[in-house]
Amino acid sequence: MKLIFRIVFDRIFTVLTGLTVFIIVGALIAILGPMFRRGVGAVFLRGTVEFRKVQLAEFGHGDEAQVRAETERTGLVRAKVYEMIDRFKSGIDTRQLSERATEIYRAFGAELKLKEIPREQYTALRSLSRDIRDRLIEAFAKADIEQISQDVEHVLQYEKDERLKGTASEDFFRLARQYQKAAAATNLNKRDEYAKELAELEQIITELLGPRPTEDSPTLAQFRYGATRWDQAKKLLHKLHWKELWVEQQSSASLMRIEKSRIEEFAGTELEPLFRYIDDNLEKMLEPKPTFYWRYFLDDSTPGHYFGGIGPEILGTLLLTLLSMVFVVPFGIISAAYLTECTREGPVVRIIRISINTLAGVPSIVFGLFGMAFFVLFFIPLFGGPSKPCILAGSMTLAVLTLPVMIRSSEEAIRAVPQTYKEASLALGASSFRTFMKVTLPAALPGILTGVILSLSRVAGETAPILFTAGIAVGPVPKSVFQTTRTLSYGSWDMAVADKLSAQVPHNQYGMVVALVSLILCMNALAIILRSRVFKRLKGH
Amino acid sequence: MNVSYIGRTLQPAAGFKQPLVLTIGQDIKGFVLRHLGRLALFILTCTSVLAVFLIFLFVILEALPFLGKFSIVEFLTSTAWYPQAHDRPEFGALTLVVGSVYVTTAALVFSVPIGVLAAVFLSEIVPFRIRDIVKPVVEILAAIPSVAYGFFAVLVLAPWLQEHLDFATGTNAINASLLLSIMALPTIISVAEDSISATGRELREASYALGATRIETMFKVVIPAAHSGIIAAIVLGMMRAIGETMVVWMASGNASRIPRPWWDLSQSVRTMTATIAGDMGETEQGSDHYRALFAIGLLLLVMTLLLNLVSEYFLTRAKKSLGKS
Repeated sequence: MKLIFRIVFDRIFTVLTGLTVFIIVGALIAILGPMFRRGVGAVFLRGTVEFRKVQLAEFGHGDEAQVRAETERTGLVRAKVYEMIDRFKSGIDTRQLSERATEIYRAFGAELKLKEIPREQYTALRSLSRDIRDRLIEAFAKADIEQISQDVEHVLQYEKDERLKGTASEDFFRLARQYQKAAAATNLNKRDEYAKELAELEQIITELLGPRPTEDSPTLAQFRYGATRWDQAKKLLHKLHWKELWVEQQSSASLMRIEKSRIEEFAGTELEPLFRYIDDNLEKMLEPKPTFYWRYFLDDSTPGHYFGGIGPEILGTLLLTLLSMVFVVPFGIISAAYLTECTREGPVVRIIRISINTLAGVPSIVFGLFGMAFFVLFFIPLFGGPSKPCILAGSMTLAVLTLPVMIRSSEEAIRAVPQTYKEASLALGASSFRTFMKVTLPAALPGILTGVILSLSRVAGETAPILFTAGIAVGPVPKSVFQTTRTLSYGSWDMAVADKLSAQVPHNQYGMVVALVSLILCMNALAIILRSRVFKRLKGH
Repeated sequence: MNVSYIGRTLQPAAGFKQPLVLTIGQDIKGFVLRHLGRLALFILTCTSVLAVFLIFLFVILEALPFLGKFSIVEFLTSTAWYPQAHDRPEFGALTLVVGSVYVTTAALVFSVPIGVLAAVFLSEIVPFRIRDIVKPVVEILAAIPSVAYGFFAVLVLAPWLQEHLDFATGTNAINASLLLSIMALPTIISVAEDSISATGRELREASYALGATRIETMFKVVIPAAHSGIIAAIVLGMMRAIGETMVVWMASGNASRIPRPWWDLSQSVRTMTATIAGDMGETEQGSDHYRALFAIGLLLLVMTLLLNLVSEYFLTRAKKSLGKS
């Protein structure tokens, strides 16, 4: 009986240990999977005509003639959407109509002033036009179709007035007729509701198709274009059809999300066919094409990484990491050489080793503090440099951070060189220095290179040490090492937490972090391959 | 060129220009150069010692005026952290220390059992071929930069937690500690595995020969024998977790209060590292707040140094005990 328990426990234990490995592999997949799935979309996408417009206008890539032709072609299809909205709006948007009436009134007044007419006539015409304007505005505000007709008829009787012929006031009558027609077609009781809904609808259509060609181009880049990606356009289409509402639930405090059909809200109006039209013609309006956006790795970006790529971030990361390697590699190799070749274990070496271990254990944020206090505020100004965060300070901080990694891996590489190599060289009468330079170092070099690559990958991913020493989220591409820079790691943090605008472009958010992770994983893979080959070679022959 | 040496004449080979025997001058020169070279190497090697020294020096120098102006006891025991208050700013770091320890402990609760069991699995149970697949996975986990973990925590895990577990906020202690535990796993696994596989084969064979099952062998023989290494692994994992910045800054919610009740992991906390990272941008250089952040950095540095010493102690003990057996 007891034996069975023991065996069962043993089996459970074995399964449990296996399970832990599944948990670890599962965690890796759960973390990297969604990241890569969404991040790849930054480079492989179905780009719409808006995407090609962005590329042409903001970054100067692409075929201008082709984009213009596409713009014209899609413009024709889009024009009908705007036409439908405008027609519906003329009966709905009372504020805009009133503004229009006031505008006409003003234009007419200005016209009168320019004419040289007697003062009495001027006053009479002025008051007449004011009367017309007020009547129209009254009509706009009314919901009863008969009263509206009365008002409009009242206005239209002035049309025959000779004094008004051929002046700006003729627009009054055009506006009145238009309104009369539109008012007859729509349910006036729901007018305010419609106006609100229409504003939302127009907002979505602007997001989908960009601002109208007749409007001025907005100052902020993210409002200048419509949906640049087909998946984005699909989402907006869904948003167009279904209105999102949050309703209170009876049972719990949290709100529940429901979706309400927009078509039903506009049922029976002139706008109803619009939905059908957009559904059928969205592809013609946007012309999506499969795109491989390789320039993502080179392009600069608009604020918030709304459009564009991560070129400056990659450049900054490379600058920072390579410069830090310039500082750390000589020190690393020399320290490793000294520790392996020149000394035996003793108190001094023990102190050095404890220091290296301590250095390896210092939290990265403390390296940030140290980098700021020492390199930024003390060391670089000592040599006449600026007392500001800069690439030089950042790379020096990172060099200190990665020194232990470098020393340990170089040491391992040098120790892996077989003793026979050195003995052969020494037996030939070479000095120990020459033996090291001509025999040990070349044999250890691939191993040291592995260490360099591992240090590089560690440095490329560090964020905390460059927070106060070199990194910025937005800024120009650096021209010298005395300037700050954007990096992939800092950018990933910024896009995830700090920059609210980039939350609207998840593909760019994930694209940045995936670029960082793939860079690091590639370097690690390279290091692993190199290491296994080196050890095979040193062991094998 | 012939050289007379102990009464015999050595004939160099044809075309060989170097003297076969050094003169006294050359000998001394070589000796001096050799030792000068060693000295130079030694000095360069001391960069790491210098770096550690400078780190301590500069962090202490920046923190010192703060420690002189405010009471250290209050800094360590008060929970009131109001550095931006206009009339009388308060710098009580206890909340932050508790936050750090809280998140780290929670992370270890997740990662120690998984890490030790995985180490057992890798060193005892699986064949080498599977081991060669699993090891790179662990290495990849160690290689992923912390900001990527933080990214995942904020944009994937936090919304998921909020939606599926009905938390008030997704960025909370459990989010941060889950990610920290994943980050501490590679350290724990590799150190623990080393120490488990370093225990002698005889121990296991003796245990199996007595009829013990695998679980009994593991828990009664191998793990007790490897306990120093496993403790070192846990301490190293703890160091990794307590010094981690980006993940906790992004995922922990940064609400500076002590969780109440203490077991409720779904509340936001604020750690020392996150406070330094988050506040430094807002402080004026040389202000009390700035110096207080350096004081927190110093505290962090001292804590990791102590942990480092503990891990060194256990690692040396592990080496010694294995050397005997």
